[in-house]
Amino acid sequence: MSGIPWAGQGGSPLAELGQILGRRWAHLEEAWETTLRANHLLSKIIEDKLIASGIDPNSDTSVIMHGSLARHECTQGSDLDWTLLVDSQADAKDQKTCLAIKSALSDESIFKELGLKQPGPEGAFGGVEFSQPIVHFIGGEEDSNSNTTRRVLLLLEAQPIGIRREAFDRVRKGILRRYIDEDRGLLRKSLADENVRWVPLFLLNDFARYWRTMAVDFAYKQFNRGNQGYALRNIKLGVSRKLLFASGLLACFWCDPEISKDKNQEASKLSLLNCLDTFLSLTPLERLALFISVQIKTADSEFIRKTAADLFGAYDEFLGLLNDPERRKHLNELTPDDDTDAVFQEARIIRRSFGLAIQEMFLGEGSPLRQHSIEKGVF
Amino acid sequence: MALIGFSTGALKLGDFQEALRLMRCSSMTAVELSALRLPELPVLIDALPKLNLRQFSYVSVHSPSRFSAESEDGVIDLLRKVPNDWPIIVHPDTIHDPDKWAGFGSQLAIENMDRRKPDGRSAQELSRWFDQLPDARLCFDLAHAHQCDRTMTEAFRILLKFKDRICQLHISELDSAGHHFPLSYGSMQAFSEIASLIPSDSPAIIESLNPQQNASEDPQRAWMEREARRATTAIGRGGLQPAPNSSGQTTISTGPVPA
Repeated sequence: MSGIPWAGQGGSPLAELGQILGRRWAHLEEAWETTLRANHLLSKIIEDKLIASGIDPNSDTSVIMHGSLARHECTQGSDLDWTLLVDSQADAKDQKTCLAIKSALSDESIFKELGLKQPGPEGAFGGVEFSQPIVHFIGGEEDSNSNTTRRVLLLLEAQPIGIRREAFDRVRKGILRRYIDEDRGLLRKSLADENVRWVPLFLLNDFARYWRTMAVDFAYKQFNRGNQGYALRNIKLGVSRKLLFASGLLACFWCDPEISKDKNQEASKLSLLNCLDTFLSLTPLERLALFISVQIKTADSEFIRKTAADLFGAYDEFLGLLNDPERRKHLNELTPDDDTDAVFQEARIIRRSFGLAIQEMFLGEGSPLRQHSIEKGVF
Repeated sequence: MALIGFSTGALKLGDFQEALRLMRCSSMTAVELSALRLPELPVLIDALPKLNLRQFSYVSVHSPSRFSAESEDGVIDLLRKVPNDWPIIVHPDTIHDPDKWAGFGSQLAIENMDRRKPDGRSAQELSRWFDQLPDARLCFDLAHAHQCDRTMTEAFRILLKFKDRICQLHISELDSAGHHFPLSYGSMQAFSEIASLIPSDSPAIIESLNPQQNASEDPQRAWMEREARRATTAIGRGGLQPAPNSSGQTTISTGPVPA
């Protein structure tokens, strides 16, 4: 896969899996290349604007891309979801920085050149987000829908662009540290079977909560937007949103050295933090690809190869569908009554294939994740 | 014997002679001769043959923290006069041409940087410097690592990758703007998390800024001993050798470390 950097230094687990399976995912590769181009251009536009505005970016702020730009899955019509993450002493100048970025990213030529769309109307993106509530309010009254969304997306679907990514790195580790520190049974031996609990349940529960929030918000948006964009959102929920949750669930299971096959993994909080932070720095698809590659290398089976081929094949088709402006527009205009529409039916077949492959990966008889999925992912 | 002591610049900014005088009659066994500002370097190098350093089992020199590319050759020429067995601590962002520094070999110690600096802060960024200067060692600054990442994950990564290169430690408290302070309980707790990964024989140099600089000598020395005890506690090492003060009494108590 020429567009995705090869495994090894700076390489991608996706390219390695493609090589192992002897497969090529053309739409995935194209989306990866488009994302690299988009992020490069957006970085330059922001940097130029900040310089022109006399703003010197420092280590207190990072510009973060979310959504498909963060997943390296940019297609025609992808949303330009961005935030300015601030992790510093209170400084009103941060608003000036945010306005400069907003102005730079509102330029119509960007949307034409990259085929992107403005952020959605719910208001989670396109502004400043502060580290304090994201790190401090996990659960409880203060943890609003947008706070949960920002926090979980910083872990699962975020890509800093531009030269200053330090704030992002700090905040992400800060969030992870809270999940690790406050999970009292983590790394302790079970009274029943003496096994160490490696899986961070506090984190897993928040990922699961976010997944259910997305599913509930699907119905909310349907109600709030009068079914506008129903079919497209429906497909995204069952594919890219499901991928996000699956990759988060996998991140939790990856902490178990039996799953990651990492002999250097220690039963210490810092070792676990290092493991999670490293794994989450991959894109969601890369996380799945890394897991599958490791399984194939250590315990190859027809089951894991078939699951991988089905999963990545379906996802590739999904990206192909989204990258086709006509079919995407068509899907976006359908209502819940257009059940028999041919494009919608095709999309639902892709969604079903992907869903089944994910189900197999986590719950299939031959899956190394099965026990964890039943014990910790379901109940 | 634990190797611990102060950076002269932390005890008396810009006055290494006075800092060394303060350290006499203390239990300090290590010292870093600091020339953080460029004009301090020729003065320090000139004074080296005459300094009384018998008390110290470990001595290092800290190179200036800022100089131009034009001054680089001059700085290197002066640093060549430092005895070969004294490590030279260098901020990576001051190095303009790594090839010029390669001749120092393992005498050179690259320091991990604080968050104000654009480079040398993480394991990944340090890797690039050690690729260019493969024989160089590491001055592991715990406060810098803690300031860059409060969770200490990056400190953990630096230690996993480079603990065999460590030649000395820097210990202090650092605020978000990069100012050095005496150790707080929070920093001590953070440092203790990675203490088991730090080679136990690595000399510890304290960079906490002396808050008693305007006081008389006794309170300053008492603070030094207290800060040294806090530093050794933070990195999980045993107490210091009791040191006699001017009246022959020991200055280290065996009581709990005050928070």
